[in-house]
Amino acid sequence: MNKKVCALFVAGLMALTGVAYAATAADVDTSLLPYKNFKVDPVKFKPGTVVNQANVETYKDSLDVAMYQFIKDGWYEFTIEKTTSFDPPAPYIEATRKNFNTTKLGEGNLVDFVAGRPFVAEPNTNDPKAGEKLAWNNKYALIAGDGGTIYPFYWKYRDMKSGKLERQIKLRVYSLNFKHRTTEEPIPEITPNPSNIFRGLYIGVEEPFDVKNTQLLIQRHEDDLKRDNAWLYLGFQRRVRRLSSGQTTDAFLGSDLMIEDFEGYNNRVADNTWKYISTEKLLLPFYNHNELKELSDEFEEPDGYRYVAFGGQGNCFPKVTWQLRKVYVIEATPVNPNHPISKRIMYMDAQTGFFSRTVSFDRAGKLWKTWLIGESHPDYHLAVNKGSGIAQWDSFTMIDTQAMHCTTGQFHAYNDPKEVSPSMFTPQYLRKKGK
Amino acid sequence: MQRPQRKTAVGSKVKTLFLTGFLAIIVTSFAATAALAGVSGFIENDTHYRDERGLSKVRNTFQLEYSKDLGAKGIFSEINFNTTLRATYDAVYDLRDKEWGDKAGGPITMEQIGGPPTGAPAAQVPFGSAAADIFPPQYPFFPGSFDRTKNPNEGLENLGQALHRPNGGFDLAVPVRPCDEDSRGCIDDYMDADLNELRYPEFNDRQDWLREFYVDATIPLDDGKEIGIKLGRQQIVWGRTDLFRVLDVINPVDYSRNNIYDELEDIRIPMWIIETELRTGAGEIFDDLNYSIIWNFDKFRPSNLGQGGTPNQIIGAGSFFRGMNNVWENGGTVGNFAFGNLATNFAPHTIGIREADMPEWSLANTQIGAKVEGVYSDLGFSLNVLHFRQQLPTLRGGIPALNPFGFLTTAGQVAEGMPDDFGVEAPRAYLPAFDIVFPRVNLIGGSLDYYEQNTDSVFRFELAYTTGEEFANTADPKLYSESDVVRWVLGWDRNTFVRSLNAKKAFLTSVQIFGQHLLDHELYNAPLGKVGMPDWEDNYIGTLLVKGWWMRDRLSPQILVAHDYEAKATTFEPSINFLVTDNLSITARWNVKTGTGARKFNDVRAANQFPPFTATPAHADPMVPMPIGMNGFEPLGRFRSGPIGMAQNEDEVSLQIRYSF
Repeated sequence: MNKKVCALFVAGLMALTGVAYAATAADVDTSLLPYKNFKVDPVKFKPGTVVNQANVETYKDSLDVAMYQFIKDGWYEFTIEKTTSFDPPAPYIEATRKNFNTTKLGEGNLVDFVAGRPFVAEPNTNDPKAGEKLAWNNKYALIAGDGGTIYPFYWKYRDMKSGKLERQIKLRVYSLNFKHRTTEEPIPEITPNPSNIFRGLYIGVEEPFDVKNTQLLIQRHEDDLKRDNAWLYLGFQRRVRRLSSGQTTDAFLGSDLMIEDFEGYNNRVADNTWKYISTEKLLLPFYNHNELKELSDEFEEPDGYRYVAFGGQGNCFPKVTWQLRKVYVIEATPVNPNHPISKRIMYMDAQTGFFSRTVSFDRAGKLWKTWLIGESHPDYHLAVNKGSGIAQWDSFTMIDTQAMHCTTGQFHAYNDPKEVSPSMFTPQYLRKKGK
Repeated sequence: MQRPQRKTAVGSKVKTLFLTGFLAIIVTSFAATAALAGVSGFIENDTHYRDERGLSKVRNTFQLEYSKDLGAKGIFSEINFNTTLRATYDAVYDLRDKEWGDKAGGPITMEQIGGPPTGAPAAQVPFGSAAADIFPPQYPFFPGSFDRTKNPNEGLENLGQALHRPNGGFDLAVPVRPCDEDSRGCIDDYMDADLNELRYPEFNDRQDWLREFYVDATIPLDDGKEIGIKLGRQQIVWGRTDLFRVLDVINPVDYSRNNIYDELEDIRIPMWIIETELRTGAGEIFDDLNYSIIWNFDKFRPSNLGQGGTPNQIIGAGSFFRGMNNVWENGGTVGNFAFGNLATNFAPHTIGIREADMPEWSLANTQIGAKVEGVYSDLGFSLNVLHFRQQLPTLRGGIPALNPFGFLTTAGQVAEGMPDDFGVEAPRAYLPAFDIVFPRVNLIGGSLDYYEQNTDSVFRFELAYTTGEEFANTADPKLYSESDVVRWVLGWDRNTFVRSLNAKKAFLTSVQIFGQHLLDHELYNAPLGKVGMPDWEDNYIGTLLVKGWWMRDRLSPQILVAHDYEAKATTFEPSINFLVTDNLSITARWNVKTGTGARKFNDVRAANQFPPFTATPAHADPMVPMPIGMNGFEPLGRFRSGPIGMAQNEDEVSLQIRYSF
């Protein structure tokens, strides 16, 4: 009797602390290496198969609703390639193994999280916190590794009806994890870090002239209840000015992306309620960059790198191959009632924890924007990335279906610890790099 | 009236050579480097139309910017070279030469409201003529004896005529043509621009076409800290506020370009400066902490206030200075002066501005400052100190000036009973005879910014305390005095959705309040009004900016409002920018002012500067100079009207077309 009471008490405590669905060591492999026993219909998903308007019904269950409609409307077609595992770096897996089941959900923050993936147990619709746990997994995913560079990074604004190129922006992006580091020294964190910053993101604009020298710095705190600190350097003002977070839901430089849209989702976990919907097998744009049949010769790089080419309706879609992936479907609803988005359906790649696809709805509940990020396997990308285990963000498109407009992105991304340092994520760096 | 031809010819050739050479350099460099990274720039036309004046600016600008990452060399982990070249041609001086150029101005009359002792009725007196009828010219030192051939009644305007009539106040003639056409009132090394320098303002003695030219280098230290060195002609920007210059005072400003309405980036005057920083980054307490020292080793330059006769002059100072220098150098007629109501001809060296004391280059005349800037939690902060020179001029009275009141005998001797100093230049109390100086100022201040989570707002604060600044003061016998000053700005920024206007992009709202307090302010009652400092003891200026974006930021309307509380003057500047392509943008603006406009203040007329001849019934002791509070719009009311009020009749529409590359 006492044992039963104790068991109930422990179960209740676990439920309260968010570890009711305790993971096992096997869950680590399932979570991070899900393709060991991944079943793929070899006929339906035969490599080389082109998914297009003619056969889209066959793949309807393997596509998110927006992409299904795009293909059905003849806006896009892609070729299926075989599913490949994007194994995370061994230290990240090891950190996950070492720390699983130690992390608990607290009041708006994680408790006792050390490093790796916080929650490895398979999400369960009976778990009301399943969506939130996946959001935490995204926060601590190896987005660009512990430190990454995207340079050059080309954004193009296009009229989706005509394909007319309206604007082209050239950016430089750096990111750095200050805490929970697993792959690059110092491990596990960079000190001193008096404000307990988790991650820094720096964006600098080089072209065109009217926005040249615009720089954005975002410092995300480890405390998820604390809003980001953000600074903006405007070239014509030659001053660093602090941003209000209201600007994170504004279109950045007139693009189809809010600052909050960066990296699939770029804000606090606390800014949304997260509802886990289901686990699916869906086609996502994961590929080997160097094996893509068509790449762009538009920009010349000293290292000979060629960017992803774009085509389809309005040249808004990346010409990349897709593969069947294990995907968690999540519904995210902004807490702020004034948020321009009423909800997002987010398609998280189960292995990387990235939001590869999101479908956003406006305040009226109408489909507004869809996000797509193409990921390249690091072994088939720049030489510097080979063996890093860091999936490389390689191409994106954000499509505003209401305005029939898109913003596309072409990456030259790499992880080189020498190129990013803590000093680059300070307001003073913005002053230094400004005029 | 005209400058020596040789100087003009040589100057013109030099300018032409500069212009040709500059164009050759930029065309060659652009052709050679256009394909390289780091080259950018723009070509721009900015045309302004002023109400009742017509075209006031047809400015064509070519700007070329070049930056080069030179990589790591020696002890430096990175070295960057940056330069900005700018050439401007303002065609308004050619297209509207009768308004602003070498045919501007004309003959004028000076107001004489009449009264004792002559009982003459109010009248308009032609410059240089009427007073001569009152005071016989055969006495060489008597008022009225100025050489009309050196100071003829042509190419003139009345001071402040665009804003007000004299209305019984001080009425001064201002030569308005470029200084090569008419050198009257041109102050050497300060306000002496010839036509080419007005048309091509960058091609001056300071080679302003080389707008910026600096090297930025970093020395890494073992502990992750860095030493940064930035050396060359550059802008150094301190502070956190827009529009106001509380801490942003290292570089002087060129108000002649578009008064207070151009971006500070375009009107700061770059100086040769070395800035050395120690960037410590995050520490145990601060998230970011940096120390910097700046040494402005350039030869001193004041802010450019705009020259008399040109379209853009902040508070009309250029015209005031030019009129005053002209009457000092050449003598002239001043309306409503003697007894406060007679048009009076002054001999040279009696009243006016004698010269501008421009500091020569010396080590002692260089300027130095230091700053500590950092971030502590959600608070950004800086502490700033600066030793510099006031960039706005001070008029110091008390210079030796002529006493014109007396008689000579036919033998040329001072007549018996006349003052001993008759005909002698000596300092005289309350006499508006000045030198322009730029005193040394010490500044200590700081700034803060803070993001407030609950209101989703950013608050900015900036504070500066200065010592050594000088202000006009009609209660002081030398007509100026020093005052410590506190200036501050509180700013509030918020992005707010107004979904009925734009469902998908928030509007930027930025509100700022600027305050200024003069700690040593003086203002006293006198028989006819107040005397003392025309600047307000406490004044506040509020600004509001609301900016929206449509069409993916390609269409951006905004409204800027600025209100000067004490001046009771307001500017509304709605504008709209349309980015046609990445390269082509069009901006239309409407700048309109409303409010009280011209304000009156004591003008030290009838202050009995030449006792006993100038004593009035208000002077109990006819031998003692004393201001009695007589007032008018000119010349000191401008300090009460401020830059907005003084430009009240300068409403403009403008169109700017820029092609960038």
